[in-house]
Amino acid sequence: MGSRRIIYLIMLVAVAAPILLGISQRPSRLVSAERMYDVLEKVEVKPGEVAMVWMDFGPNTIAENEPQAMVMIEHLFRRRVPVVVLSQYQQAERFLSRVPQTVARQLEAEMPDQKWRYGEAWINVGYKPGAAIFMQSLVNAADLSKFLGRDVNGMPLSNYPNFAAIGGVERVKVVGEVTGLVGVFDTIIQFFQKKGYRPVIIHGCTSITIPEAYIFLDSGQLHGLLEGIAGAAWYSEVLKKFHPQSDNKRLLVTNTALSAAHLVIIGLIIVGNIMPFFTRWRSRGDR
Amino acid sequence: MGTGSSAWEIASVFVGGLATLAIFSFLIKENGFYRFFEHLFIGIAAGLGPMLVVRDFLWPNIVEPMLGFSVRTYPDGTPVVPYQPLYLLYLIPMGFGCLYYFIYSKRHAWLAKIVIGFTLGTSGALAIRGFFSEAIPQVASSFKPLIVFEDGAFSIFASFNNLLFVLTLLLVLNYFLFTFGREGSAQGKIAPLGRPLLMVCFGAFFGSTVMARLALLVERVQFIVRDWVAAVGTIVGFG
Repeated sequence: MGSRRIIYLIMLVAVAAPILLGISQRPSRLVSAERMYDVLEKVEVKPGEVAMVWMDFGPNTIAENEPQAMVMIEHLFRRRVPVVVLSQYQQAERFLSRVPQTVARQLEAEMPDQKWRYGEAWINVGYKPGAAIFMQSLVNAADLSKFLGRDVNGMPLSNYPNFAAIGGVERVKVVGEVTGLVGVFDTIIQFFQKKGYRPVIIHGCTSITIPEAYIFLDSGQLHGLLEGIAGAAWYSEVLKKFHPQSDNKRLLVTNTALSAAHLVIIGLIIVGNIMPFFTRWRSRGDR
Repeated sequence: MGTGSSAWEIASVFVGGLATLAIFSFLIKENGFYRFFEHLFIGIAAGLGPMLVVRDFLWPNIVEPMLGFSVRTYPDGTPVVPYQPLYLLYLIPMGFGCLYYFIYSKRHAWLAKIVIGFTLGTSGALAIRGFFSEAIPQVASSFKPLIVFEDGAFSIFASFNNLLFVLTLLLVLNYFLFTFGREGSAQGKIAPLGRPLLMVCFGAFFGSTVMARLALLVERVQFIVRDWVAAVGTIVGFG
């Protein structure tokens, strides 16, 4: 077995052990996630006003983006903010239906006397092609309900009282963007605005795009940020602090497995840098 | 996976796990099992795109209203909203877009160039607008105060942060300033200081890339260990 395969095996064991044993550590505090929590906690919606969550991710970044979308939607659902979910990314199709449904089921299990129903708590308007051109049309539409037309099941939005007459884009109180695609995220930053309207934008990004996302957080173009799995894990901890029944065990185990993998990598880097010195020292000794 | 999972759900988890193992088998060596699932994934991704464009956009937004399929009627047959013939105007931009296909004709390729020119012009204009709405707030936010007071008291931490930010910004910008002769000038002497700062940035990018890849591994292992094993257990009768 080559050394490369031994490294793969070590990584697999490091990742699988916390998952199999159900080991979970408390995640580190992330201020950017807390900023997002504060933003969503302050959102007040009048009838007809909504939050718009773009789930622009597919199976390739599901590991980080799905937990982010889950905690974002969980908080919005808990606050009873009607959510429009949609995507600029074709492969998001499945997650647009799965994420809100899963969150609704979890919340209903936690609070059996309450319901989060499709058409009341959220609607799914599906995949929207056209990127910047679509976004331009969306922000300039006189009535988003008419502009979006129908949900993914072909039902006119006018059938759903919470989403029947949204009106102009000003009625979108929060824009959530969950993606690992820089270009797609840029489309929101660049075009989801118009004269007199700058939305509150929150973002869930993959680890790769964290350094870039920080630029937007620093400039105030973003109002909150979830940094990879760690961001989602800390957000779930904050949610749990205020809603103790909330179950975030799986997310914490995921985050712990990731940390274990990081520790192994750090160990391998140290070993990899020490080994040449050791080898040289031994070969000198042999001479 | 819950105990009440449908057969369809179990089957999709089973195939998903099989595909994951096939792709990971590449780590041992290149093999047919891996190649089969790689092609399958590319095929599905390629097929899904056009299907979604037709289902979620072309059909409900263009074809249905244009052909009057979206007109709903009362039980007596009277339309709720009458057919709007103005939707037929969609045929003009659609026809214009179809000129793109003349790219395959040597004689009429010039017709495609009109569409390409139009697309380039539109994209250029959008890019300029997008650049300004994205970059200007960032430029403005880079003007940070070097001495920061928080709640009336001098904040050494915030001041140091801002100083570090401004210094990094200036040194990196200076590193990429190639217009003037560097030899012997003060600007040339300071320029190399930008390089280690850039290396820190690249290190951060590299570290975060590794983290993202590991996150994918964690999710897949989680899927295999929990969902897939449960699905296999259900299929073989242990679930």
